[in-house]
Amino acid sequence: MNTFLAALFSGTSRGAIFALVALGLVIVWRGAGIVNFAQMGQAMFSTYIASTLITNGSNYWVGFFVALFAGAAMGALLDILVMRPLSNKKKTELLSSESMRAAVPVIASLGILGALQALAGILWAAEERGFPAPAKQEGLSVGGNVMPFTSFDIFVISVVALTLIITTLFFKKTSVGLAMRATALNQEVAKLSGIRTNRTRTLSWAISGAASSLAGLLITPTSNLSPNTLDLVLIVGFTAAVVGGLDSPAGAVLGGFILGMVISFVTFYDTPEDVFLSILAVLLLVLIIRPRGILGSKDVRRV
Amino acid sequence: MLKIENLVTKFGSVVALDGVSFSAQESKITTVIGANGAGKSTLLRTISGLERASQGDITWQGDSIIGKRPEDIVRMGIAHVPEGHAVISELSVEENISMGSLFRRRKFKSDVQVAIDEAYQLFPRLLERRKQLAGTLSGGERQMLAISRALVSRPQLLLLDEPSLGLAPLVVEQIIDSVNTLCRTTGLTVLLVEQNANTALGVADHGVLLALGKVVADRPAAELKADANLRAAYLGY
Repeated sequence: MNTFLAALFSGTSRGAIFALVALGLVIVWRGAGIVNFAQMGQAMFSTYIASTLITNGSNYWVGFFVALFAGAAMGALLDILVMRPLSNKKKTELLSSESMRAAVPVIASLGILGALQALAGILWAAEERGFPAPAKQEGLSVGGNVMPFTSFDIFVISVVALTLIITTLFFKKTSVGLAMRATALNQEVAKLSGIRTNRTRTLSWAISGAASSLAGLLITPTSNLSPNTLDLVLIVGFTAAVVGGLDSPAGAVLGGFILGMVISFVTFYDTPEDVFLSILAVLLLVLIIRPRGILGSKDVRRV
Repeated sequence: MLKIENLVTKFGSVVALDGVSFSAQESKITTVIGANGAGKSTLLRTISGLERASQGDITWQGDSIIGKRPEDIVRMGIAHVPEGHAVISELSVEENISMGSLFRRRKFKSDVQVAIDEAYQLFPRLLERRKQLAGTLSGGERQMLAISRALVSRPQLLLLDEPSLGLAPLVVEQIIDSVNTLCRTTGLTVLLVEQNANTALGVADHGVLLALGKVVADRPAAELKADANLRAAYLGY
C-alpha cells in the first residue's frame, strides 16, 4: 500500500511537470504550427540564470521569478528574431514544397537548442550542479508516520495546478485569450477580425517559454542541472503532447499525467531500466489505436 | 467612395486581376459578377489586404489602402466576409461575434455591446444559439454569423464574397434581404461578389462584370440585367 501511494504521488508530481512541458509545446504548435525543440534549452538556460542569482546570495523567489521572466523573454525573442522571418513566405519561396517550408523553423529550433546548450557550457561549465528546492525533499511526517511524499511534491503539484487553472481562465475568459485562440484556429479570419496575429503569436511563444522555465525550475531540484539534463524531460514532454493530441491543451495535460504515472509505476514496481521501453510502448499504443492523440482533433496530420 | 485603379494581382506567373478599374459609390450596393475564375474573390482579397497587388491603387474615401495589412484595413472601416461561411467552428457563436469587435474594446468600449446586440437583432437565430459551437450551425446560420462578425467591427464598407454559396434559395433571399435593409437604413456601402448574377443584380444599384481578370462591363445593375448579349457571352444563361 505504501509503495502504491508513493508511486501515485511521485507519478502525480512528475506528471505535473511533464504536463507543463507538453502544454508549452502545444501552445506554440497551435499558435505557430512549429514543434519547438529548443523549448527545454530555453528552460535550462533560464534555470541557470536562477541558479547563478541564488548562488550569489539572492532569495530563491527572486531567482524563481527572474527565471520565469527570462523564459518568457527568450520565447518572445526567438519568435521575433528567428521564427517570424523564417516563416515569412516570400523569403523561402525557393523551397517549393509545403512540407519543406514547414520543416525549416523546426530545424532552426534544433539548431537553437544546440547553440543554447553550447553557450550554457561555456558560461557555466558543463558539469552538473544542484538546484535548490523551496520546500523540504524529505518524506512528510504526519502523526509520527513518514508519508511516501515530500513537501516539495505538494509544492510542485499545487504550483502546476494553479498554473493550469490560470492558463485555462486566461484562454477562456479574457479578450487576449480569445484573440490567441482565434489566431491559432484560423489566422485568416483572425486577421480579418482586426486581431494583430503577429503579436498574439509572439505572446504564445512567451507563455510557452514561461511554462517550460517553470518546468525547469520544478524538475532540477530532483535531477540536478547541467546543459543536457532537460533533454530527457523534453522527450517525455513531447511524447506526452503527442499522446494527448498535439493540438489540444487539455490533451497535453492528460498526456503529461499519463506518462508521469507510467514512469513512476514502472520505476517502483519494475526497474528504472524499463522506463524508456514503457514510454515507447505507450506512444506506439496511442499511435496505433488513435493516431491523432487522445484529445486531438481530426484533421491533424497522421504520423 | 471606393476607387480601384488599374489593379493587377498575380499568383506566381498567373495573372488573376489584369488591370481592373471601377468605383463603388457610398451607401450603394455594387455587385461584381462573373464566371468561376474571373478574379472576383481575388479582387475582394486584394482590397482587404489578404493578397498583395503588384500594380495599381485602391483608395477608400480618398486614402490609399494598398500595401496595408488586413488588421489595419479593418480599422479603416472595411470589413471582409470571405467565401465559404468563414467562421471558426471550434469557437462558440458568441466568441465568433465578439472576435470582430476585440480591436474596438478600448476606444469604443460602450459601443461594443451595442454593436453585438444589433447583430443579434438582425439575425435572431444567432441569439438563440449563442452558446453553441459555430461548427454545429447550419450553412445559412454560419453565413449570418460571418456577416455579424464583420458588422460588429462597425464597417462603412462591407465586402461580401458569395454569400449564396451552398445555401438554399430561401436562406439566400433572407441573407440578401438583411444586407439590403442594412445598406438602405444605415448607409453601409456594400461590395457584393456573386456567381449567382440574377440574385445579385436584383438587389444591387450597380454592376461590374469581370471576365478573366478584366472588367468587361461597368453599368447600372438594371441595365446589365437587361443585356441579353452580355449574359449569354459571359454568364452562360
